[in-house]
Amino acid sequence: MRSTLREPLIQFLALGLLLFLFFEWRGGGSGGSRIVVTHGELEHLASGFARTWQRPPTDEELKALVDDRVKEEIAAREAVASGLDRDDTIIRRRLRQKLEFVVEDTVEQAPPTDADLKAWLDTHADAFRSEAQVSFRQVFLSPERRGARASADAAQILARLRVAGPDADTARLGDATMLPAELPLEPVREVRLSFGEGFARGIEALAPGEWAGPVQSSYGLHLVLVRERVPASVPELASVRPEVEREVVAERRRRALEALYRRLLEKYTVEIERPASSSSTGSASATAAAGAPR
Amino acid sequence: MTMLERAIRVPFALALALIASSPALALGAGQDEPAAAPKAFPQDAGQNDPAAAAKAFQKPAYSPYARRTYPTRPLFGDTHLHTAASFDAGAFGARLGARDAYRFARGEEVTSNTGQPVKLSRPLDFLVVSDHSDNMGFFPDLYAGKPELLADPTGRRWYDMIKSGKGEQAAIEIIQAFSQGTFPKDLIYFPGTRAYRGAWQNNIAAADQYNEPGRFTAFIGYEWTSNTGGNNLHRNVIFRDGGGKASQVEPFTVYKPYGSDNPADLWKWMDAYEKKTGGSVLAIPHNGNLSNGLMFPVVEEFGKKLDRAYVESRAHWERLYEVTQTKGTGEAHPVLSPNDEFADFEIWDKGNLDGSVPKQKSMLEFEYARSALKNGLKLEQRLGTNPYKFGLIGSSDAHTGLSTVEEDNFFGKTAPQEPSPERMGATFFEDPKTGVKIMDWEVGASGYAAVWAAENTREAIWDAMERRETYATTGTRMIVRFFGGWEFEPKDADNRMPATIGYARGVPMGGDLRKAPAGKTPTFLVGALKDPIGANLDRIQIVKGWLDGKGEVHEQVYDVAWSGDRKPDPKTGKVPLVGSTVKLEEATWTNTIGAPELIAVWKDPAFDPAQRAFYYARVIEIPTPRWTAYDAKRFGVKPLPGTRMTVTERAYTAPIWYSPK
Repeated sequence: MRSTLREPLIQFLALGLLLFLFFEWRGGGSGGSRIVVTHGELEHLASGFARTWQRPPTDEELKALVDDRVKEEIAAREAVASGLDRDDTIIRRRLRQKLEFVVEDTVEQAPPTDADLKAWLDTHADAFRSEAQVSFRQVFLSPERRGARASADAAQILARLRVAGPDADTARLGDATMLPAELPLEPVREVRLSFGEGFARGIEALAPGEWAGPVQSSYGLHLVLVRERVPASVPELASVRPEVEREVVAERRRRALEALYRRLLEKYTVEIERPASSSSTGSASATAAAGAPR
Repeated sequence: MTMLERAIRVPFALALALIASSPALALGAGQDEPAAAPKAFPQDAGQNDPAAAAKAFQKPAYSPYARRTYPTRPLFGDTHLHTAASFDAGAFGARLGARDAYRFARGEEVTSNTGQPVKLSRPLDFLVVSDHSDNMGFFPDLYAGKPELLADPTGRRWYDMIKSGKGEQAAIEIIQAFSQGTFPKDLIYFPGTRAYRGAWQNNIAAADQYNEPGRFTAFIGYEWTSNTGGNNLHRNVIFRDGGGKASQVEPFTVYKPYGSDNPADLWKWMDAYEKKTGGSVLAIPHNGNLSNGLMFPVVEEFGKKLDRAYVESRAHWERLYEVTQTKGTGEAHPVLSPNDEFADFEIWDKGNLDGSVPKQKSMLEFEYARSALKNGLKLEQRLGTNPYKFGLIGSSDAHTGLSTVEEDNFFGKTAPQEPSPERMGATFFEDPKTGVKIMDWEVGASGYAAVWAAENTREAIWDAMERRETYATTGTRMIVRFFGGWEFEPKDADNRMPATIGYARGVPMGGDLRKAPAGKTPTFLVGALKDPIGANLDRIQIVKGWLDGKGEVHEQVYDVAWSGDRKPDPKTGKVPLVGSTVKLEEATWTNTIGAPELIAVWKDPAFDPAQRAFYYARVIEIPTPRWTAYDAKRFGVKPLPGTRMTVTERAYTAPIWYSPK
């Protein structure tokens, strides 16, 4: 008997029992048919309100918050007791979301180092390459207005432009259009967005400083003078740091989730029932299915 | 350590780990800082944009084209997109989150909710992820660190694992510990407990991460989903600011006492936000067509007679209206505008949002944009301010995280509506009591917001929205300019730089003309360029609405520019239809009709300087295959009888208003 009483386990159990009784006598926590709205909860409700309305709730409003909270607690307990939480798609999705949040957040707790970012930038340079830029002028010829003459007219106007040079006065040449006649140095992406992919590719090979063309767009024909070209380049880490960091963290988050499911799946065996009339829908083994993260 | 000792330590260590994983606590954040401390803001630090730098350091230019102060192309974006963080999107099966949505909008290829690869034809310039505010959760930023808990070895171990990049390992242990522990209720509500992190903080972080000034703008926003009785009064709230300001508040919801279903209370929330943070926020309502007559009241709202306070508030906070999206287009209705042959376009007029109450004709006047613009003139006369003085934009309201609204690249409104042979024949929803039934094919591939912003930043785009210099498109990227002034002449349409003339001698879309100079009539310079990869244009129209001396409102649609050599009908003044090159079986069309560019100067032939009026431009493309036609071709399915198979895409500009004083 005495040796039993000396067992740490027994002593701890006795201590636990005493604490439990003491706790219950003091009023304990919620459970069973007892609902306690704690100080923490009251603060939670009030501050949630304050963050929405930018002022603390009045007594009446706080009472409404608490009443609603109590109703919610009762409903939640009754619902769970009736098994309403089972097989509910929304609840399951929310639970999954919360689980994944925990993992995602731990990833964000350890920001990548400069070395991590540099390494990522080196191996994924293409994703961060600053776009090539181009500046150019263009003279537009409208097939709507000129019909079959358009090509011949283009050749003629091009000859004149070549003689006049890069600073030719184009105000009265070609046809009026809302498309800009001159574009300052901008990423090639902008050219694609304004003139279309075909035109953007069409001017890629043009040498700067001389009028060339006609280049086709979905609007018509263009005679183009490329003024300047700046090639794409891989930037220094300093200028793309936030984007690199974002990509590194996104990758870590993804890997963390995969690792989570791999680790958790080790606890489970998965069986997938096949329909009685077995059509060859593939013999995906249970292991394979279990191993594939969603 | 014995098993027992470990068992006792777990609850405390768990609490510690949860606290420790709260970055706010870890950084010792103060009272007013956001619960999830955002990373450094690139936009505040200033990013080196070589194009901008080149512009700033140019020598004075001979060329009149250099260093324009106005934009050469509008910015295209979506102001209304839902991700898996929205309750209903997740319920439908959406898996993509805010970050996926931004990556997609920026032009990357992603995997859709149903596992299909998807990519936009061209990147968008901006995006607002506007998940529903209800269920985004809220978490107080109270802090209470208990130093003695940090002394616990297991907790310390978990804290160190997290900090050294072994977070996922720690997380697994924490989760497994979760399943063993029960601990004091108060700790569950411990502020900053990560298991309870809300979608709001997540969305803010995602927006700040993907916001790249000069390249792509990610706005912070949410949708306030007022839906009482199934009547849609939704608004999208868009912040001009970054996470530093936005995370100081919780989004407004609809459940009392935290929230309300009354827009007037939303406006109070917006005011409180601006006063607290010094930031700026605007609200964009949508789907008047599903409000069953409640969107644009004229007499009373929520039991209260319309008064000065209401009209002034509404005019102040709601500068735009989302006139076209997947749940129908709401510019005009054939019953309200029987003489407008283009009014019957992607109409949803069967009932309210959930089909619980069928539509009655008497509701229509208070649901459609053109009608509201007209009634706004009446209310201005009566109460001193026009509450319905809004610019127009389009957006998707997609619940897939994918802002796809092009007909040949449409991924539906919800995850089950992503491409599949079934989607053309499925029912979207049906109310058995009322018989209101909407089929999936009725969902439209629409729309985009086009904004004439000076540069691609949050501030510039938001400011352009605030001044209403915007237009809506039904999914294509045609470029539309619209200016109003007293001095435009027909030859201005031949000018090589119409925008320069427009800004110099008039006001752009969204602007105001006042007090006509003696003998002058409003003139309008309007031009449109087709989408570079899209269809030719059929015509440009100007829609005029005005308030006559007797207090009645009127409307008239004018054809102002059109392709080819069609002549207006001598009796009706209307220009005949342009025809169609659509080959339905092939799902193709050709640009052999219509014109790639239209521009004209138009003068109001029936102007009365004493009468309030508005004018907006409507640009219409030649017919093209609708997404249903692409589905029929690609999946080899037969459409249900009555399915719309072609579409005439259009743009609607913000109006220019005229007032006598």
